Amino acid sequence: MDELQFRRRLYEDPNAQDAEIVAARKDNPAREQFAKDIEALDRDIAEALRVPVPEELSDKLILRQAMASHQHDKRKNRVHFALAASVAIAFGVLFNFLQFSSAYTNIGDYALAHVYHEEGVFSNDGEAKVTLASLNNKMTSFNGVFASQVGELMSADYCRFDGIKSLHLVFKGETAPVNVFVVPERTEVSFTSVFEDKRYHGSSIRMGDNHVIVVGEKDEEVQKWRDNLSSSTQWSI
Amino acid sequence: MSTKQVRYEALVKALHTDIYRYAYWLVQDKQVAEDLVQETFLRAWRALDSLKDEKAAKSWLITILRRENARRFERKRFEMGEYEESSITDTVSPSTEQELENHWLRARINEMPVEYREPLVLQVIGGFSGEEIAELLDLNKNTVMTRLFRARNQLKEALEKTPLKRGTHNG
Repeated sequence: MDELQFRRRLYEDPNAQDAEIVAARKDNPAREQFAKDIEALDRDIAEALRVPVPEELSDKLILRQAMASHQHDKRKNRVHFALAASVAIAFGVLFNFLQFSSAYTNIGDYALAHVYHEEGVFSNDGEAKVTLASLNNKMTSFNGVFASQVGELMSADYCRFDGIKSLHLVFKGETAPVNVFVVPERTEVSFTSVFEDKRYHGSSIRMGDNHVIVVGEKDEEVQKWRDNLSSSTQWSI
Repeated sequence: MSTKQVRYEALVKALHTDIYRYAYWLVQDKQVAEDLVQETFLRAWRALDSLKDEKAAKSWLITILRRENARRFERKRFEMGEYEESSITDTVSPSTEQELENHWLRARINEMPVEYREPLVLQVIGGFSGEEIAELLDLNKNTVMTRLFRARNQLKEALEKTPLKRGTHNG
């Protein structure tokens, strides 16, 4: 190792301790002195580089991190809350949809389904126990009034069927009960004036804001029922 | 306290001094250096899980800090002119000979181009080898060694040109 190389190596790294450097320093007082000078210079450099560190910097770093992770947790909580709220809203919408959306596209289907749903609940030899006053009391929420009874009324009750609040009247018919439904008009359920299936047939009419639907067995004159209902009721809008 | 918290605090206590000094010599401004260190440790906290080897912690932090500093340059390019002498000089008036020496040497190091200063700081303060510095600065090792040589050579020459200061070195 020549002199220039030796010096250069020490300038590059004053603490170099490899065999080459150690050998080059050995038994050479001038090189040994040079090495010592460079080591001294490096101690001074190190001292100069050790600028004062701001007081309590480490505390500040820990505090800042603590604040940041607290903020982060709060954000996380907000995200959780938002997620929970979204799920709740989704359930709410779904519930509403199931509860209030109609499975039937026209009032005929709706009325038949309602009749089948309550099949067996009413029999034609039941007692005609509902008075006109009681009937009219129930009719108030549909803004309608019966001037007179149109038949022997066995039952008059509010039903919620397929999400629709309706007034379900059951009259004594020829052989089987005649069902009359008073249903608020709804845009998503279309109006059908006559309908039938194998067993029942029905007829409907708009009265006030409502549809009045008569459903009876095939031998029942539902048209006549419908006309009677029409003539004996008054509706205010 | 979580283990992550414990790790973080240990990291801060062990390394904040070296990291701050590195930052200071990189940017030559106490306030900017402190801000950089804050930002660096905050990022380190967020990414702490990615630090697998504690021995690599220092170079990991330095890498984060260099990246943060590069971002600062992008943000504040328009502000970057010549550095102001006033921002780098020590306000503490040196009293003892050693302090005088320190003060003088600091000024010389501050005048040095950052290309020379940075490897010098990494070697002397960081204790990194030539290979490690080369990796940190994305340079080849020969370049790093040349810069280290020039850095010390400059300081040595400056000392020799200032007879008043020589005494402390020869004595």
